[in-house]
Amino acid sequence: MTALLVLILRVALAIALYAFLGRILFTLWQDLKQQGEFLSSQKKPGIHIHAVLENGKDIQQRFVQSEVTIGRDPNCDFPVIDEAVSAHHVRISYHHSQWWLEDLNSTNGTFMGKIQVIVPTVLITSDQFKCGGTTFTILVDMVDEKLLQ
Amino acid sequence: MNKITQSRLLQITAVFLFLQSLIITLSPAARARTWDVEFRFSQWIALGVWGLLVARAHYDITRKLPDADPYLFPAAALISGWGLLTIWRLDTNFGVRQTGSFFISMIVLIAGTRLLTIDFLRRYKYILLTCGMFLVTLTLIFGTNPSGSGPRLWLGYRDFYLQPSEPLKFLLVVFLAAYLADKLPSRLRTIHILYPTIILSGIVILLLIIQRDLGTASIFTALYTIIIYLATGRKRILLAAFFLMAFVGVAGYYFVGIVQARVDSWLNPWNDPSGSSYQIIQSLIAIANGGIVGRGPGLGDPGFIPVALSDFIFAAIAEETGLFGTFGLLAIIGLIITRGLRVALRASDLFRRILAAGITAYFGVQTILIVGGNLRLLPLTGVTLPFVSYGGSSLLTSFIALFVLIHISNHLDIDPAPLPKPQPYLALGAFLSLGLFACALTNGWWSVVRGADLLTRSDNQRRMIEEQFVSRGLILDSTNSIINDNHGEIGSFSRNYKYVDLAPVIGYTDPIYGQAGLEATLDDYLRGIKGNPTSTLWWSNLLYGMNPEGLNVRLSIDLYLQNRTDEMLVGKRGAVVLLNAKTGEILVMASHPTFNPNHFDESGTKLITDPNKPLINRATLGQYPTGSIMQPFIDALYGDESVNDNVLINVFKTFGFYQAPQIQLPVAPALSQDDIDTMRVSPLQMALASAALSNHGVIPAPRIAMAVNTPVEGWVSLPELGKPIEAIQAQAGDDAASSYLVENQTYWQHSGQAQEGESSFTWFIGGTPPNFQATPLAIVVLLEENNLRLAQRIGEELLVDAMHP
Repeated sequence: MTALLVLILRVALAIALYAFLGRILFTLWQDLKQQGEFLSSQKKPGIHIHAVLENGKDIQQRFVQSEVTIGRDPNCDFPVIDEAVSAHHVRISYHHSQWWLEDLNSTNGTFMGKIQVIVPTVLITSDQFKCGGTTFTILVDMVDEKLLQ
Repeated sequence: MNKITQSRLLQITAVFLFLQSLIITLSPAARARTWDVEFRFSQWIALGVWGLLVARAHYDITRKLPDADPYLFPAAALISGWGLLTIWRLDTNFGVRQTGSFFISMIVLIAGTRLLTIDFLRRYKYILLTCGMFLVTLTLIFGTNPSGSGPRLWLGYRDFYLQPSEPLKFLLVVFLAAYLADKLPSRLRTIHILYPTIILSGIVILLLIIQRDLGTASIFTALYTIIIYLATGRKRILLAAFFLMAFVGVAGYYFVGIVQARVDSWLNPWNDPSGSSYQIIQSLIAIANGGIVGRGPGLGDPGFIPVALSDFIFAAIAEETGLFGTFGLLAIIGLIITRGLRVALRASDLFRRILAAGITAYFGVQTILIVGGNLRLLPLTGVTLPFVSYGGSSLLTSFIALFVLIHISNHLDIDPAPLPKPQPYLALGAFLSLGLFACALTNGWWSVVRGADLLTRSDNQRRMIEEQFVSRGLILDSTNSIINDNHGEIGSFSRNYKYVDLAPVIGYTDPIYGQAGLEATLDDYLRGIKGNPTSTLWWSNLLYGMNPEGLNVRLSIDLYLQNRTDEMLVGKRGAVVLLNAKTGEILVMASHPTFNPNHFDESGTKLITDPNKPLINRATLGQYPTGSIMQPFIDALYGDESVNDNVLINVFKTFGFYQAPQIQLPVAPALSQDDIDTMRVSPLQMALASAALSNHGVIPAPRIAMAVNTPVEGWVSLPELGKPIEAIQAQAGDDAASSYLVENQTYWQHSGQAQEGESSFTWFIGGTPPNFQATPLAIVVLLEENNLRLAQRIGEELLVDAMHP
């Protein structure tokens, strides 16, 4: 009798120990889930790219994905026909709540005004940059500030 | 969010410790299998202190450090509470002291939460390290040991003791973190930066080696190497440290006695189980006794492990909570390590990062070293298990280090400092996790795979405890009269020998002198290991950690005839065997002088050295020269041929004198056929050969243990061990027996004498005639003196008695 009662308590003891560990796994998993949901619910603003080629021809396109590559290669998200543009010339990507412009080691470089883009640079609406002979103008969608938080 | 997580975890911890304390309270009742016992209440004091202080610390941590890691404190609170209850359960006095240390540790932690920053550690690094080293140096002069002997590593004032090498571990980590964080960005050559640290750490380690605190010295070396590797990311440092350690280890093995002893007892513990390997083997036995589910808090016997409170607390926990408990414990320590490394990676500056990683390494390395030592995975080093082991200095240092870790984790909202090389941190995590994993695997090996082997070792003192708690099976004679039963009640059982004169045959079971005779050979039945259904065994082991009640065994001995025999043999040295010539059942087996096993405690040593050898069962173990007693056997085999050596050897062969009888008793080893000078026969062998003359030439298989009373099938007969042997033609046997028939009597008999040096021996053999209508019998009497008349009188009276019951 006595030993049976103690056995039941011993089982409860083991359950309590593993409840502790289980609880930790549970909260860690919840953290993970929350982070996932937070990231997926994050609204990123779309970006509108307007390119003017050397010959005056202009192309424009709006993107909603978080990464856009520009280059001569037709596989780029935004292909341009310009001999002075490298195959994969620049990448525009959204992270840290900003759109960033990043030169992909292009032959002729990327310039904002007269300054060459060497490190990733933040882009805001109406920023202009130049790859080869093509000039790009950026329009970032307006997004509700609350959603960004 | 953090606050809720931490408080939930602490609630579960409180439930866990509450249950543990409750089980300890009830454990005396579970052991004694009755409610009428003294319950253990004192450990509730520890739980009360724990509850109040942990609640207060939780409140302060969540208020003052709201973003701190919510797992670190509950994990440490759980294992320190677990340790507190285990220590209290082992020894109340040490429990009180440890509760005091816990009190001080938590007060320091609570006071610490009021600190806004820990930068003072960085600023005063030299002062702190110097103070620590100064205290360790003081132990060289004023050192004491609380237990009175052993290495003098403590500073004592009245009843308070401090082991300065414990805080020094933490201070070294602080110093290295602070120094490296100051110097590394200066882009000096790494080696120039390292010079001062090598010198300082070298001095510290040298101090410890002088003190013979080798465990702590190896921890320092490991911590130094790990921290330098973390800070610089140079793999060469690991290699260099490895070779240095290997060199020091090998040199130490050949030149320092204690290193050699430790390593030897690690590599070959089984060679010296009662000496240098005593601790580790007792630890392994305790771990094996825990098995998978453990015996339950308060229900194991970890008190048998030396220093179970501090060095071997892991083994004590393993015995009482089993693999379930230790896996949980190792998982919680693993959690502290992973969270600690996470804190390090997310730390806001280099100082905090190295400090957090160093503290994590301190917890991890020390845990692996001592748990591995307990499990014989590593050589034994006398270090503590952080948070769990007995030891105030260790507990306080662990909690201060934990507090620093918690404090660092509170700055997670600031961006982490840049991390040029993450590999060292990941490597440290992998190394420590692998270490804990290896500990868990080894634990499983000893608990499950090797468990049974370890528990049957003769130096497992738990068998003795079991004898006191589980009633041993009775030994009965052929009419179910009790020969041996038990005194006392659960918890104080001891063997009661009712028929004392049978002691050399039945033997004894004694906590000090072990077992002998039938008590030894029938031990598995008498202990209930054999004969009980597996489910009963399993359930009994689960509930009590012991085997079920022993089973009663019935012998073929007839106490009436036995008593007659013993009366006639009083004061003589000799043996008598009377058996059923057909079935081999032994009705009488007497060996004199006898002894009283009820008084073994007082007389044991004297009996062992007694020149009359009362402990020896002369009937089976005595081997005597044969002399003229061989005549009937020679007649049966050859008729009237003259006796020579070859004839005698042939007779020996034919009547089984060159074979040890197979019976549940220790018997003399078989003699070699080549050696003509040692032609000797035991009384049992002689009785079996005589039986062949009364049984148409067939030697019966001897039997003494007849049946065992099993709970399921009732009395089950125990099979005979040997087989009957057709020694000679039935007619030859009958003729030989007939030619020795006594006039007007229904038995044959022959007596003879043998001489060897100064000693003379008298034999008597006899038996029922070949055509006897009732139970055929055979008898042998041997006296270690020249006394034909007595031998004849004993033999004839017994034969007559046995034939006419």
